[in-house]
Amino acid sequence: MENLYGNHYYRLLAFKDDLERQLDKMEQTLEAFCGTNIIDHTMGRIKSEESVLEKCRKKNIEPTPDNIVKGIRDLVGIRVVCTFVDDTYKVRDAIREFNNIEIIEEKDYISNAKPNGYRSYHMIVKNEEGYFAEIQLRTISMDTWAALEHDIKYKKDINVNKDLITAELKRCADELASTDISMQTIRNMINGQI
Amino acid sequence: MKILLAEDTKDLSYAVTVLLTREGYEVDAVYDGQEALNNILTNGYDAVILDIMMPKMDGISVLTEMRSRHIVTPVMLLTAKADIDDRVAGLDAGADDYLPKPFAMKELLARVRAMLRRGTDYSSDMLTYNDLKLNGTDLTLSSNNTVRLSLKEYELMRELMQNPDTPLSTSWLIEKVWKNETDCGEDTVWLYISYLKNKLRAIVSPVSIMGDKGGEFTLTA
Repeated sequence: MENLYGNHYYRLLAFKDDLERQLDKMEQTLEAFCGTNIIDHTMGRIKSEESVLEKCRKKNIEPTPDNIVKGIRDLVGIRVVCTFVDDTYKVRDAIREFNNIEIIEEKDYISNAKPNGYRSYHMIVKNEEGYFAEIQLRTISMDTWAALEHDIKYKKDINVNKDLITAELKRCADELASTDISMQTIRNMINGQI
Repeated sequence: MKILLAEDTKDLSYAVTVLLTREGYEVDAVYDGQEALNNILTNGYDAVILDIMMPKMDGISVLTEMRSRHIVTPVMLLTAKADIDDRVAGLDAGADDYLPKPFAMKELLARVRAMLRRGTDYSSDMLTYNDLKLNGTDLTLSSNNTVRLSLKEYELMRELMQNPDTPLSTSWLIEKVWKNETDCGEDTVWLYISYLKNKLRAIVSPVSIMGDKGGEFTLTA
């Protein structure tokens, strides 16, 4: 990793730690505010050497440390998995208030699901040193779905009927989205919000 | 729009074919009942016009066979016999309309138009309103995104989409969607309305459901 990222590696690690610390703090504040923990878990990672090299090939970038840091915006990746759909937006609003980071881009794949059924809220953020990170917000069921979809995408096994799997995954994604909203609605009803 | 015409009198068949073609329909003309049935089983038609008295297989047998195979394409029967028993037998066998010969071409066209209009209303599995699509085959509701509905959610949405911009009372919905099930009350209707309201928001549709618990609900854009 240090070979690939050079001197940037420890800066990236520090950025990841900083984001995780701020998320931790936010989780405690939100818990105090909402009376319940709205985050199931968070996960941070530095992009693996293999995926960096693959991305360089795709984007036609020569994999030098400086090129990588400038050209790939998800070297630092943070995933926040929430229990309910509305909570993902609460977390988003809280992240917008984070110190020392600038929001570069937001993509709402929850309201605009990808054609394959993928749902998540993506934020690209930049720290004061100019490093990028991608934060993904999703519900537990979106996370489960994405894990399975990821497995299928990288399976080299040709024995599975990919068209069938793809269609079934899309169907499951739409069913899960529907269930997520049903659960949210029931929670709202329990809380006397509707 | 594709129409099958089964009429064994060649002159009449030709005249009707020319007329329907000129109106923009695509016409397959056949001259006996067996051929008619073969065509119905192998092609998709928007409507079928069947003469009752035909060689090999009569029109009512073709119709009965079709309906027994769950083919719901609208059917109009033609016959020289203005016999009441014949008309009743035809309608009971599943005909949508009945036209006694001789008939005016203008009336035939009007009846075909009416039948096609009904046909799309009845058998269409896809309801649309504004940018909203409700698919009855896989129970999905789509706009920007797609979500799959539960059966009751689908049935409720269908009632709303069949009566857009019309206030539907809670009791009417209980009767239509829940068939007056004893354990269904205004709480149930309100929860299901709430599911649909949130699902409409989740697929980012401009369509919404207006109304409050226990009252009337209106689908509106």
